[in-house]
Amino acid sequence: MHRTLSPRTLLLRVALAAVVLAAVMLACALVGTERISLASALSGSDPASPNPDFEILMHVRVPRIVLAAIVGAALAGAGVTLQAVLRNPLADPYILGISSGAGLGAILAVIGGLNWTLFGRSPIAAFAFAGALSTVWLVWMVGRVTGKFHVTGLLLAGVVVNACFSAVIMFLTSIARSQEVHATIFWLMGNMAEEDFLVLWVSGGSVLAGLVALFFISPQLNALSFGPVEAQSMGINVRRTQFVAFAVAAFITAVAVSLSGLIGFVGLIVPHGVRLVLGPDHRQLLPLSSLVGAVFLLLADTLARVVVAPAQLPVGVITAMIGGPFFLVLLMRYNRKVYRLT
Amino acid sequence: MTASVQLQDVTFAYRSGHPVLGGVSLTVERGTFLAVAGPNGAGKSTLLNLLAGLLVPQSGTISIEAANIRSYRQRDLARKVAVVRQESIPPFGFSVAETVMMARTPHYGHWGFETQADRELVAEALDATDTAPFAWRPLADLSGGERQRVFIARALAQDTPILLLDEPTSFLDLKHQVEIYDLLKSVQRDRGRTIIAITHDINLAAQYCDRALMLQRYQGPEASAKPVGSRASTGQCRIGPPGAVFTSAGIEEAFGVRVFAAPIGRESVFLPLGRLARDAGKMDLQPAPENPSPPPVN
Repeated sequence: MHRTLSPRTLLLRVALAAVVLAAVMLACALVGTERISLASALSGSDPASPNPDFEILMHVRVPRIVLAAIVGAALAGAGVTLQAVLRNPLADPYILGISSGAGLGAILAVIGGLNWTLFGRSPIAAFAFAGALSTVWLVWMVGRVTGKFHVTGLLLAGVVVNACFSAVIMFLTSIARSQEVHATIFWLMGNMAEEDFLVLWVSGGSVLAGLVALFFISPQLNALSFGPVEAQSMGINVRRTQFVAFAVAAFITAVAVSLSGLIGFVGLIVPHGVRLVLGPDHRQLLPLSSLVGAVFLLLADTLARVVVAPAQLPVGVITAMIGGPFFLVLLMRYNRKVYRLT
Repeated sequence: MTASVQLQDVTFAYRSGHPVLGGVSLTVERGTFLAVAGPNGAGKSTLLNLLAGLLVPQSGTISIEAANIRSYRQRDLARKVAVVRQESIPPFGFSVAETVMMARTPHYGHWGFETQADRELVAEALDATDTAPFAWRPLADLSGGERQRVFIARALAQDTPILLLDEPTSFLDLKHQVEIYDLLKSVQRDRGRTIIAITHDINLAAQYCDRALMLQRYQGPEASAKPVGSRASTGQCRIGPPGAVFTSAGIEEAFGVRVFAAPIGRESVFLPLGRLARDAGKMDLQPAPENPSPPPVN
């Protein structure tokens, strides 16, 4: 009897990865510019005599750590999904124009000098979110016209929209004042900040819901890797699967982008890394990539805040600088097993 | 015997306009091995895609297992018809077992995992195709013949009464070609499946199929209305026993080449010879043995 992935193996691995994530979260919470003691922090705080350890842990470290985990999980999950539907190992969460759409939204908010807040968030986030989603919608509509299952049309539409919007972003930055330009560029490089708990609950909840939805189409993603025509002959509802995959991946990417700007590399290399080690079955690849993505971005962000302390690096710099070489090592070790590089 | 697949007056044109199939009618009985031959562009793959539900005819009806194909949902049609296409390998390295298991995807339980019944069907398909010994190797590491057997295994695991194949032996060497045909024949004989295989290898197909379909390029309504030559013809397609459809006259008419024909036993072999072929002259010396009776037309 030949067994493919069993539910028990999957649960075991997911549980293991979740434990690792929890451990890394705890460890990273204790690392930082200020030394804090866990025992003291856990003793709590009362308004009469504020406990600095507790304040730092709960209002500075934990929100940022949770934020990094949410963003990492969203980007890695979206990357897995898009690589499967587009049947393209080079796909990342930003491939369908999300990055430029979000960037355009952000720079419009900055240049417009908007200063209202929504759920304690600056308008940059809201504009980036709206820009990301409307760009993906535009790309999807254009791609749909090119043919029933034409993934190539979708990819090309994404690339062209990206290039076009990037040009608009450059145009706007060149006519904007330098202070505004700095704010935008910093945002575009990808950056973490301490967030309000409400924001974390809402975004964490929506990313988790998105990942669960994607898990339920993961068997169909396996079949879709063989191409839409093959998948349809196997009885898969291809249009529905493609639509759910694109819509949910775009949504969780937009959430991530509006939280932390454009953090590259996570959505590209984490899925590949997990696939190289554990194989291509999306039922496993999706949940595990999300967990590994969370761990990876958490570690990268911790480095970003301590390496040049008290200053901070944009986390996107760390993900690319560490993730790139790490991925190349994985690729050299495992490529013959998983990829068809002949 | 009941009809497994039935086409009635099916017309199909791609969006660009020129009709590919013009009023094709044919019946394939259950448990038949049908070989479909014809020149490039005659509409063989179009016919296959129509039967797979990927294309919808402009007019006419297609019945699968006595029900109109339009009445099936994709998922239900996939319980009736399985398709083996020319190679499509994903960019990610699925193993043989994983690939074959994918045929069961629409029938997985709520949590997206296969049931015991699915595993048994897959094990059976792996055994039938002799792919079990390398079930854990990645698809990309296999030879073309092994990989083709895996895709046939996947189609078997779909557990359908009808199997469609698009040139299952192209790119394969002689030994693997014969192996694939033996495999298909055993699937037909032992499991009673209806097999419809598109092929360019008339000689091999003639040895295995029960019925043969010769599809020609659609020439417009005028051409199909009048009889061609001495034979009554429905224009675009001729169907019948292989010995009656695969004749040198039939092949010469459909493909526009001259062939050298020689009987082996119950079937003949046909060798197309071009103008500069070394034995091109032989065709004049030895006229091709022709079936004396006019081929039955369906």
